[in-house]
Amino acid sequence: MNARLTARDRLARLLSVIPWVAEQPDGALLDEVSSRFDYPRVLLLNDLQDVVFYVGVHPFTPDSLIEVEISNQRVRIRYADWFSRPLRLSAEEGARLLTAGQSVLALTDATEGADNEPSALLRALTKLGTALGEGARQAVDVRLGNAPDDTLAMLREAVSEGFRLDLEYYTYGRDELTERSVDPARIFSDKGNWYLSGWCHRAEGERVFRVDRIRQATLTTTPVSVEATTAETSFAPAGDLPRVLLRLDPSARWVVEQYPVDDVVTSPDHIDVRIAVSTVPWFERLLLGLGPDAEILAADEPLAADLRSSAAQRVLARYRQ
Amino acid sequence: MNKLERLLNLTAALLAADRPLTAEELRVRIGGYPETKSAYHRAFERDKDDLRAMGLPLRVESVPGVDPPVDGYRIRRSDYAGTELRFEPDELAALHLATNLIRLDGDDTALRKIGRTGTAAVDEVGKVPFDDTLATLIGAAAERRAVSFRYGDTDRVVEPWRLSFSRGHWYLDGFDRVRSSERLYRVDRLQGSVQLAGPAEQPVGSVSDPLDLRGWELGDAAPISAKVRFDADQAAWARHILGEVEDEPGGGVVATLEVRNTAAFRSFVLSFLDHAEVLEPESLRHDIIEWLEALT
Repeated sequence: MNARLTARDRLARLLSVIPWVAEQPDGALLDEVSSRFDYPRVLLLNDLQDVVFYVGVHPFTPDSLIEVEISNQRVRIRYADWFSRPLRLSAEEGARLLTAGQSVLALTDATEGADNEPSALLRALTKLGTALGEGARQAVDVRLGNAPDDTLAMLREAVSEGFRLDLEYYTYGRDELTERSVDPARIFSDKGNWYLSGWCHRAEGERVFRVDRIRQATLTTTPVSVEATTAETSFAPAGDLPRVLLRLDPSARWVVEQYPVDDVVTSPDHIDVRIAVSTVPWFERLLLGLGPDAEILAADEPLAADLRSSAAQRVLARYRQ
Repeated sequence: MNKLERLLNLTAALLAADRPLTAEELRVRIGGYPETKSAYHRAFERDKDDLRAMGLPLRVESVPGVDPPVDGYRIRRSDYAGTELRFEPDELAALHLATNLIRLDGDDTALRKIGRTGTAAVDEVGKVPFDDTLATLIGAAAERRAVSFRYGDTDRVVEPWRLSFSRGHWYLDGFDRVRSSERLYRVDRLQGSVQLAGPAEQPVGSVSDPLDLRGWELGDAAPISAKVRFDADQAAWARHILGEVEDEPGGGVVATLEVRNTAAFRSFVLSFLDHAEVLEPESLRHDIIEWLEALT
């Protein structure tokens, strides 16, 4: 993945490598430097020998050059006074580390280690917070999903122990409750929701379930029989779904970005798109939410062109009882 | 001399300088630059851009004792290294693991700077969106500085307290100086860029629990208390996302919501199609009826 590091990428790494190696009394193994700083070994060796070796300040007399010595797979660096400390973390780098770290803390409640001492992660984040500023302690809070803790705990157990789950699952798109047996493969969070992927015996295929739509989960004692891949399942629609030609107000452009659409034609006062309709209730929700910002121009069979109107009338009926 | 070597020498020269150095001095001291004046200036400009893009705190200052004034360049070591950050090996390993468990949008360069250690052969458990705006806001919250931005077509000056990721969106919770009270903003709805302003003046207040964040509570309007009935087949779901609900005979539930944003409230209720109904107040019930009638 680091096949093409630019001069800038390499400079950024060297500004960290030089002070770190210089600080090790006996130098460091090239392999260790390579893995620590994500620096491909061949490139690292090349840059140390052919570049850092010649770096110095005016007038470039031997005593003003960095000393680099490589022997027995180890590198030693001396006299790199101007590079004695690493470049500080940028505000963005600090914010990113804090965010990833706080997410994991919230996820696992990993504030204490096995010995009831503060965990290594908490110590690291405390140090980082001190460097970033007094407000850092509570600056970031990440909820990866909002599923009930006991459900998540059971799903995790099922994944790690390899037992089948019986689920009562609400299919939002079709607006129906179903019972399914699932051989769980993986739990992951995306865009603020927890998902369970696995082999669904009812559908006889790999499926992804949103954990907060699992109404009831039961851990069985049946070992999983199908090894589902842990790869993420794509949500891309099948090619044979019926399409609707929709005219959107420019303020509804987010629809184009959020859902699979084709044939997008943008005019000054509207956007025409063809959108794949996987299930009718999903599409009804979209239309009722968009209201006057969307208009059906044409619909493939078996979808009705007056879909929006009939959905609106069905909901209105509740208000007229 | 290759570009990497030239950039390293330039950085070393700028760090070693005890006064600002002119472009001409740098050309002589570093070597490896083109001979002609215009080619040198182009190369030097590109190098400066590279250093700045990497976050190197390059300063432009007047060279002392020169008349007419001439720009000089240097990197102050206090700008360069900042607060010292030293992590124990287990702390670095924990951070490394965390950045592998949680994937943020964009490139993670921090661990290449501080060095990483430990193995992280783990499945990623979560993806979280991240961008420059968020980094600026988190930085401002950490450093206790105010920011200015546009939101809902109004200019705001806000002292950020906390950035919360919940239900797929980032929210900013902070003190709105113009309105003199705590406010919540959806970060993806901030308009234009976020500018850093002066130091924060208010102490950090008690921040809203992000689990309670709901679209209909994000607004500037005075809150209206609304009652919504959910059918039995949606009761468990409503209970889960709304918390406190009252049971009704037949398995349905009624929830009371504090509405500050009518449009968001309407979309939430309509996402239940004909499984939910606004009971009161009459104004919000009427809003839904009017909305639906226009669609029939």
